[in-house]
Amino acid sequence: MVQLRPRASRAPVSAEAMVDEGQPTSEEEAEHGLLLGQPSSGAAAEPLEEDEEGDEEFDDEAPEELTFASAQAEAREEERRVRETVRRDKTLLKEKRKRREELFIEQKKRKLLPDTILEKLTTASQTNIKKSPGKVKEVNLQKKNEDCERGNDSKKVKVQKVQSVSQNKSYLAVRLKDQDLRAARQQAAQAFIHNSLYGPGTNRTTVNKFLSLANKRLPVKRAAVQFLNNAWGIQKKQNAKRFKRRWMVRKMKTKK
Amino acid sequence: MGEFKVHRVRFFNYVPSAIRCVAYNNHSNRLAVSRTDGTVEIYNLSANYFQEKFFPGHESRATEALCWAEGQRLFSAGLNGEIIEYDLQALKIKYAMDAFGGPIWSMAASPSGSQLLIGCEDGSVKLFQITPDKIQFERNFDRQKSRILSLSWHPSGTHIAAGSIDYISVFDVKSGSAVRKMIVDRQYMGVSKRKCIVWGVAFLSDGTIISVDSAGKVQFWDSATGTLVKSHLIANADVQSIAVANQEDSFVVGTAEGTVFHFQLVPVTSNSSEKQWVRTKPFQHHTHDVRTVAHSPTSLISGGTDTHLVIRPLMEKLEVKNYDAALRKITFPHRRLISCSRKRQLLLFQFAHHLELWRLGSTVATGKMGDPENIICSCISPCGSWIAYSTASRFFLYRLNYEHDNISLKRVSKMPAFLRSALQILFSEDSTKLFVASNQGTLHIVQLSGGSFKHLHAFQPQSGTVEAMCLLAVSPDGNWLAASGTSAGVHLHCTVPAYNFPVTAMAIAPNTNNLVIAHSDQQVFEYSIPDKHYTDWSRTVQKHGFHHLWLQRDTPITHISFHPKRPMHILLHDAYMFCIIDKSLPLPNDKTLLYNPFPPTNESDVVQRRTAHAFKISKIYKPLLFMDLLDERTLVAVERPLDDIIAQLPPPIKKKKFGT
Repeated sequence: MVQLRPRASRAPVSAEAMVDEGQPTSEEEAEHGLLLGQPSSGAAAEPLEEDEEGDEEFDDEAPEELTFASAQAEAREEERRVRETVRRDKTLLKEKRKRREELFIEQKKRKLLPDTILEKLTTASQTNIKKSPGKVKEVNLQKKNEDCERGNDSKKVKVQKVQSVSQNKSYLAVRLKDQDLRAARQQAAQAFIHNSLYGPGTNRTTVNKFLSLANKRLPVKRAAVQFLNNAWGIQKKQNAKRFKRRWMVRKMKTKK
Repeated sequence: MGEFKVHRVRFFNYVPSAIRCVAYNNHSNRLAVSRTDGTVEIYNLSANYFQEKFFPGHESRATEALCWAEGQRLFSAGLNGEIIEYDLQALKIKYAMDAFGGPIWSMAASPSGSQLLIGCEDGSVKLFQITPDKIQFERNFDRQKSRILSLSWHPSGTHIAAGSIDYISVFDVKSGSAVRKMIVDRQYMGVSKRKCIVWGVAFLSDGTIISVDSAGKVQFWDSATGTLVKSHLIANADVQSIAVANQEDSFVVGTAEGTVFHFQLVPVTSNSSEKQWVRTKPFQHHTHDVRTVAHSPTSLISGGTDTHLVIRPLMEKLEVKNYDAALRKITFPHRRLISCSRKRQLLLFQFAHHLELWRLGSTVATGKMGDPENIICSCISPCGSWIAYSTASRFFLYRLNYEHDNISLKRVSKMPAFLRSALQILFSEDSTKLFVASNQGTLHIVQLSGGSFKHLHAFQPQSGTVEAMCLLAVSPDGNWLAASGTSAGVHLHCTVPAYNFPVTAMAIAPNTNNLVIAHSDQQVFEYSIPDKHYTDWSRTVQKHGFHHLWLQRDTPITHISFHPKRPMHILLHDAYMFCIIDKSLPLPNDKTLLYNPFPPTNESDVVQRRTAHAFKISKIYKPLLFMDLLDERTLVAVERPLDDIIAQLPPPIKKKKFGT
């Protein structure tokens, strides 16, 4: 059986493609390729390489004669170099990421209140929820809630008004997510009521029509209670007013 | 009497908010009314239906249910998911407790008054125990599929009926499980795509459940078997409320068309013992939805989107048939919402969330608050340079500067801590002092000078009672201050003898320093402060008695003022008339005409002198919200025609009339 020479691709094979994640396999593959490149006969390999190099150079000179071993060694060196660069890049990236994480943690820590106040709040939290009137400062403490949840059993952490003598102010810490949920629910409930009383399917009419019904049945029929609709054609009326002003100005000018 | 020039003001765009819930308390004969803006008002039905207390509203509070529990405690629940208890002594909110069930749609107190049940958006029914100072969550009942819109206890306290969307469930209180579930028809004898919302349920002691729903039906169910006994179709629109009398022989329902129906338990034939429920009387006193009704032992109370509170006494329940049996419609507020500065001719209008300042002739400035809380009271000083107003938690003071017809407002910051929430604010006549009645019962006096203020004195409540001071009056020379509490005691440096009806208006006359007090039963007293006893004129009036038509007026007197040059004249007004009392003229007896027509000039002098009496009443300007004397020849009258209020209400149900 004729063993067809597998043609190495014209495009230069990139080092990364060769040196992939599975490095040993690619090495094997590379070796394989090289082995395959020489289809069981050393003589055939040379003319292949010669062919390539010959195509690339377009010279009348005779191509360089490279031994297989040197070429192999070169290729291996290249692989190693590439592998090392990739490893270095990876480590660099890892370090960068680590540094970034630390930076973020520091920033978050800075955003939190000092530990003393946090302790006070966690110990003073009750299940009672009271929005007290009076000067209230709402503080967005989402990180703090995580800490609290670890400490308490209550699901929703709404903290009582804390009178801290040292700081001389009273404030209430409220979780913003709860507020949004509550507002959304209230809106939904009001929408339900509005729909069931004034929505489609209900037989509603305007106050004007309702009150004018009596006027229609009088022995001397009268106009509706709100006969004029002053909100009709506002834009038209405005345009007319502007036009009239401009026309007057023009008229005065031509007269003079 | 003299002639006056009158400024008629009709641009006060006052629209009261719709009534959402009503709760009647049998022991004290009081009615608690809650409106859509969160205000809760308490009316004393035995004191001529006078509004004696009120709690200001809040934007986020959408009250859906109101109930009285034992010991005169008032609770309300709303769509923000909180149960609020009101402190009736200090006129503030005791606490607001989150029920963790989402928006609360209904609330009912147990017949014993010690437990509270609420129905929530997520379909759960929660039971709370009422402890002496708070309420405590006890347990949840079985959770249902859709929101619980109405609740009712069985009189024995063992079972509960809960109305939801398309069905009614009966729970057993001890176990908390749903015993019965009754499916409600979506339409009377038919099918419909729209879900049937059960707006109200009532549980009678014989096990009958009465339900009213959005299809216009009133249905009677038997809770033991869970079957429908009788169905009445009474309206083409929703029937939104139901209230049963204590004796369970009559109940009242309110519909969205504004009709209120009275059902009674009548014997089938005249001498049989078997009884049945019959629809007896329809009442059409409202134009819009009647969202709430209550049944007191003698009358039917209804309120709804058209903002009137209608109290209809039932003739068969009353023993004495006198003027008390007439229909009472409460439309206009029983407090003053307008203050006037005489020197600068400025009027300050108080709305729920903002104040408007008008100069007679043009509008000057409008102040708007960002607060969601409602304004409780406001006042402008007589010289026109200070404005003060208060909400439930804060107090504001502004200074006005006038430059060539322009007015600029400047806020005085750094209010002292004790000036938190005021029930009544008043400036002294020379505008140097500010009197603030706070809801802890203390009265603060603050001295104003230039752009700053200084706290002068605080009167503590006498005899240790924490009572809220509701009305203030100051004498023009600045020596005397009168304050009245909610339970009809007027305190000065001495105390005026107590009267069992609350005070509706007070004022001190300029030169004689007589305190004129008007009570809710339409009695007017005059008390001389320097001499510390009632004046002679007051004694003669009391001995003589007021004219019967004067005593039969519906609305309370809200403002009293005096003429600077004529000490014998007292000017007072209520919503439908204004009156100048001339103390020098004789008093009318019951036979004379109280409302004198315009004096005929062709009659002889003798006849005129004989028929003239002290009460000169004019009904030209009505409905009046405020009337005051600006100077000797000018009056200002702020009117609010009812049509202007109705024009701004939400849409009513369409009525089909023949021929239109």
